[in-house]
Amino acid sequence: MSPIIDFKKGDIVNIVSIDCGRNFNLRLSELGIYEGAEIKILKNDRWGPLIIRIFDSKIAIGKGEAFKIYGEKKPAEHMFDR
Amino acid sequence: MEKKNQLNICLIGNPNVGKSTLFNSLTGARQHVGNWPGKTVEKKEGSFVHKGKTIKIVDLPGSYSLYPYTEEESVVSDFLSNDRSDTIVQIVDAQNLVRNLYLTTQLIDLKKPLILALNMNQSAEKQGISVNVVLLSEVLGIPVIPIDSRNKKSLIGLLDEIIADRKKTPSLKNIGFLPSERYRYIKDLVNKAIFRNKKPTVTGLEEKIDRIVTNKYLGIPIFLVIMLVVFQVSFSLSAPLENMLERILNLLAVDVDSFLRRLGASKLFISLITEGIVSGVGGVLTFVPVIGFLYFFISVFEDSGYMARVAYVMDFLMMKLGLHGKAFISLILGFGCNVPGIIATKTLENERDRLLAILINPFVSCAARLPIYVLFTGIFFADNQGWVIFSLYVMGIIVAILSGLLFQRLFVKKEASPFFIELPPYRLPSLTGIVLHVWTRVWLFIKRAGTLILAFSVIIWVLASFPAGVEYGSEKSYFGLIGQTLTPFFRPLGFGNWKSTTALMFGLVAKEVVVSAFGTLYKAGSSLEAALRHDFTPLAAYSFMVFALLYIPCIAVLAAIKKETNSWKWPLFTVVYTTFVAWIVSFFIYQGGKLLGFS
Repeated sequence: MSPIIDFKKGDIVNIVSIDCGRNFNLRLSELGIYEGAEIKILKNDRWGPLIIRIFDSKIAIGKGEAFKIYGEKKPAEHMFDR
Repeated sequence: MEKKNQLNICLIGNPNVGKSTLFNSLTGARQHVGNWPGKTVEKKEGSFVHKGKTIKIVDLPGSYSLYPYTEEESVVSDFLSNDRSDTIVQIVDAQNLVRNLYLTTQLIDLKKPLILALNMNQSAEKQGISVNVVLLSEVLGIPVIPIDSRNKKSLIGLLDEIIADRKKTPSLKNIGFLPSERYRYIKDLVNKAIFRNKKPTVTGLEEKIDRIVTNKYLGIPIFLVIMLVVFQVSFSLSAPLENMLERILNLLAVDVDSFLRRLGASKLFISLITEGIVSGVGGVLTFVPVIGFLYFFISVFEDSGYMARVAYVMDFLMMKLGLHGKAFISLILGFGCNVPGIIATKTLENERDRLLAILINPFVSCAARLPIYVLFTGIFFADNQGWVIFSLYVMGIIVAILSGLLFQRLFVKKEASPFFIELPPYRLPSLTGIVLHVWTRVWLFIKRAGTLILAFSVIIWVLASFPAGVEYGSEKSYFGLIGQTLTPFFRPLGFGNWKSTTALMFGLVAKEVVVSAFGTLYKAGSSLEAALRHDFTPLAAYSFMVFALLYIPCIAVLAAIKKETNSWKWPLFTVVYTTFVAWIVSFFIYQGGKLLGFS
């Protein structure tokens, strides 16, 4: 398990835990980033925010927050679960 | 029973789903933009007639959820909790059904009549998405009507449903309460209700554009070049309009003058109308073209989806300021005019971020300050004009940054809110939508010119024309007297002459008025250069320009701050703080320069 900032472009990540404070945790889960959800890393140059795909939307998420969302990489053969 | 013929509906939806487009298609120009009572969030209302029924519609701000996270969303949940609308219409994007339906489940919880307007935009069709509307409607227990928010004809089905008056309150069972539970339910439903001909992919073009505009190294330069073009185009297109407006205003002043004379109005009254109101309010109105063009481009950026990319690209820089990427747009706009810059902070999530972005904006050197720089650099720094002007712009940015850091220490202690922004698919903006947007903005500005700015102009006029009998703005007027009283205060800055002090006070109307005030005060068009050379050394001229850059922004900006912070406290703070900063910086420049042997 590692923060999503550690994953690379193209990785599909299963969210394990989120530690962004109560309000933002709720907001993230309402956007589809909840424990057990799957996201895809679209861009991570470890410099600005991270761009991820959740369902059918692209969301840029602050670097600071990307350190506090933990997940596990899914093996490559898994198709992105919609 | 008039009531029966009128229906109240409200429009709700996630951001970027075409909600404003739908609202514009429904109401056309019959809309009214104001603020929600006690809030700084914009309220849009409109009305239209369908089959003899008047439908009043409220456009709620875009929201992801009814548990508010932003100020805009708290407006939405407040509104819905005591609202008496006949029907709620949620617009959902067929391309992003799962996330959109999350809000739907919350709306169903409200147990109010709900209609789902399924926006099948062109890109959804291009992606080969087809939705089983009947299934969706059956499972959710609410009408689901496919529409195309841009196409008025496609809205008839929706309108028929709105007036159909089938009061059914929906309810869903066993969907759970937690977002994760609800998403599980929704994903199941969507898997059954949606059919895709192609694999879900981002369109190739979008991918390509994103790769360039969000590139680590290219993103910022590209944005700066685009902004440069925007400013160039805005200013060159608005210059002739501005000249025309000025000419009209001058003619108007003359006409009004002779008209009032014929009526036998007193000299004082004529001066109030012509010198006070027509030139004061009129002076501010000459900004309308440039503000209009800037809004035009900004709405193109917003509607096309590019703005979100800018926020992404600028985030790492703005983070150092305790703000995030979205705030950058407001600062950049400030270079054109601080008024749209301050209003653009509306997109920021929380009050802390907004306040910070609003308070540092006046230090960004707006276009109205340029004439002052041009006048002085032309006389004193003719060889290095460009560089001297450039240094002033840089100084404005530095002071804005330092002030931002200071404010965070002083009163906006809380950390910046977490950053997230949706990067919507690129879309071709609709011209009608943009024109409507520009028009409402410009109209709000004009209305403000007619109220607050009018009041300020009258105050300035009174100060410049009394005590009775003095020449307008002369040494013996209150303005001149105040100028003289304040003069010692400016002596350490190198420009301790009452004329420059008085000119600065006129600059409150609009900063470029400083230039025309010099003209009036020295009463010498051709020998203005000689007169200024007599009163200023080059060092003092630089110090004066720095002061003009940093001191109290014009009344239009103060009015905007009042409006956007919803309190008098912050415009007052701005007056005090900017004057203080301007004095300190000019002091160090003048005295430091003298120590270093400049004159």
